[in-house]
Amino acid sequence: MKKRYLYVLLAPGLLFLTLFMIVPLILTVGSTFFKDGGFTAGIYAQFFKDAYFLDILGTTLLVSVMTTLLCIVIGFPVAYYLSKLPPRKKGIMLALAIFPLLTSSVVRSFSWMIILGKNGLVNNLLTALGIIDEPLSILYTPAAMIIGLVHLFLPLILITLVGVMESIDHDLVRAAQSLGASRLTAFRKIVVPLSIPGLIVGSILVFVGSLTAYTTPALLGGKKRVVATFLYQNAITLNDWQAASAIATIMMIITFVVIGLMNKAAAKFKPKG
Amino acid sequence: MSLLQLENVSVAYDQQYILKDFNLSVEKGHLISLLGPSGCGKTTTLRLIAGFLDATDGRFAFGGKDYTRVPINKRNFGFVFQSYALFPHMSVYDNVAFGLRLRKVKEDEIKKRVMRMLEIVSLGGFESRFPQALSGGQKQRVAIARALVIEPDLLLFDEPLSNLDANLRVNMRVEIRRIQQELGITAIYVSHDQEECFSISDRVAVMNKGIIEQLDQPSVIFQYPKTEFVARFIGFNNFIAFEEREDEGSFYSLRSGDYHFHAAKAPGMPATMKGAIRPDDLIAGTLAEIQPGDNVLTGKVKVSTYLGRSYQYVVVTPLGEFTVNKEMQQPYANGQEIRLLFPSEKLVLVE
Ligand SMILES: Nc1ncnc2c1ncn2[C@@H]1O[C@H](COP(=O)(O)OP(=O)(O)O)[C@@H](O)[C@H]1O
Ligand SMILES: [Mg+2]
Repeated sequence: MKKRYLYVLLAPGLLFLTLFMIVPLILTVGSTFFKDGGFTAGIYAQFFKDAYFLDILGTTLLVSVMTTLLCIVIGFPVAYYLSKLPPRKKGIMLALAIFPLLTSSVVRSFSWMIILGKNGLVNNLLTALGIIDEPLSILYTPAAMIIGLVHLFLPLILITLVGVMESIDHDLVRAAQSLGASRLTAFRKIVVPLSIPGLIVGSILVFVGSLTAYTTPALLGGKKRVVATFLYQNAITLNDWQAASAIATIMMIITFVVIGLMNKAAAKFKPKG
Repeated sequence: MSLLQLENVSVAYDQQYILKDFNLSVEKGHLISLLGPSGCGKTTTLRLIAGFLDATDGRFAFGGKDYTRVPINKRNFGFVFQSYALFPHMSVYDNVAFGLRLRKVKEDEIKKRVMRMLEIVSLGGFESRFPQALSGGQKQRVAIARALVIEPDLLLFDEPLSNLDANLRVNMRVEIRRIQQELGITAIYVSHDQEECFSISDRVAVMNKGIIEQLDQPSVIFQYPKTEFVARFIGFNNFIAFEEREDEGSFYSLRSGDYHFHAAKAPGMPATMKGAIRPDDLIAGTLAEIQPGDNVLTGKVKVSTYLGRSYQYVVVTPLGEFTVNKEMQQPYANGQEIRLLFPSEKLVLVE
């Protein structure tokens, strides 16, 4: 049985993950169920009765869903354009597209603060053009968070979509056209359905990323909290590690549920047979 | 009046011409093949006709109308791709129905036509399968059905059989010919396999480096290739360079060195100084069997190989090496002196 030896290759990685991920996870989740020496799920009941927390959870979900949808709408056509470029140009364009991921999120968020602030680029421009009289409050709203997060996560959906779209044989599009489909129809009936797997993966990355993002919402959201900043506040400011652990557990569960739902949706689009 | 006409069409990739001043016309109801080695521009020609790529120059007319700028989806041509290009996310039924749905045909009418077409390509009962669950031959037939069901004005095949094994290839080409003739569809068929082209075509165009070297009926090309390239491509691998040619009415009398030859004239045969003959048409014999004279060379066997039904010899003669096939029980020995007879009706002149 030569194959047994192959498992040895997994050992270092497995050991690392067990020590630094699985054990801490179990401890984190486990710690939320003990209070005054007894076993209880009371902390979760408290959270879900607390209007303040529910509001934060609502904002977080809204921001994450909107970010994901915007990334899809903006990313899909761009990814198709990128996938059709000649190899050299595509490499350069993809590198440019990925650039936001490579800059520090603090720097990136500060630039958005300058652009979106009361005296920022956007407001000055709109006032100068006479479109508005009073500066809009964009900064420190969920909208600002969404803008920052879309900027941050668009590359993720681009990379996954370009990968999938590149592998679509262009003869399929030509075949559809020769059968009478206009460019748009061929795109709708061939490219879109065949890109769904990439879209799902990209969406999961963006959604989970937005759900757990800390710096961008913290800097652009002002007083408006999301779950990640709330968690930080509980742990560091209030020193309530049990509450923080419970919030972390809730975030994990949401993540798993979303991934599960999206995979289910993906299975629907997979070619059968 | 021909149905389809390419007039002085040129195509270039990155400033490099693949087709230059290319001309082709096809009669209605005919199946015409483009035959040529890989890279000679067959696919390019077909894709140009389908509208997948644009000509840099020239005109494409179809049914008397200028089609040069007509978009792909308005041409109503069926295209059968080398890799089939079946839609992987659709069942066989939906693949075949695709073109009809776009034409807003009613669902019950679609059903009738799809089912009938699947019957024609012997795929009844496969309608709910997905392409991944089909063999190469079945995919190929779905591809044909999908292209045929829209009742195209022209059917284009790009090496549709090249991914199939030998037996299936022979069966499928008969099928393609049968369907094409039954439905009376005009078709252009691309292949690099001469047997395939010759067996199913009304006309064959032999292509080389972006030009058509010869366009004729298969039987004419088979016997009388016009150029050395065509001759080589269809298996004439013996050539003689002549120094003198006399027109003797029904034949040419030719000379190379001290050797004299006759070649029977045929309509369309070019009057040149280069002779060609197939290994199968050369006659080999011992010194006793063939007497010296016109159309005869004496030489030594250099290489002999066994082909199954016959032996093939490479014979060194004063006019160079010749390849000859002969059916026999006891092969000639290497180094043995033999004579080669060039039958005058089999010796052809090429450019
Ligand atoms: N997209 C392309 N870009 C550059 N050159 C190409 C492209 N497609 C084909 N060619 C070149 O055009 C020539 C003809 O190709 P093709 O028509 O596919 O030949 P065939 O089908 O006869 O094998 C080849 O030399 C090939 O390298
Ligand atoms: Mg080809």
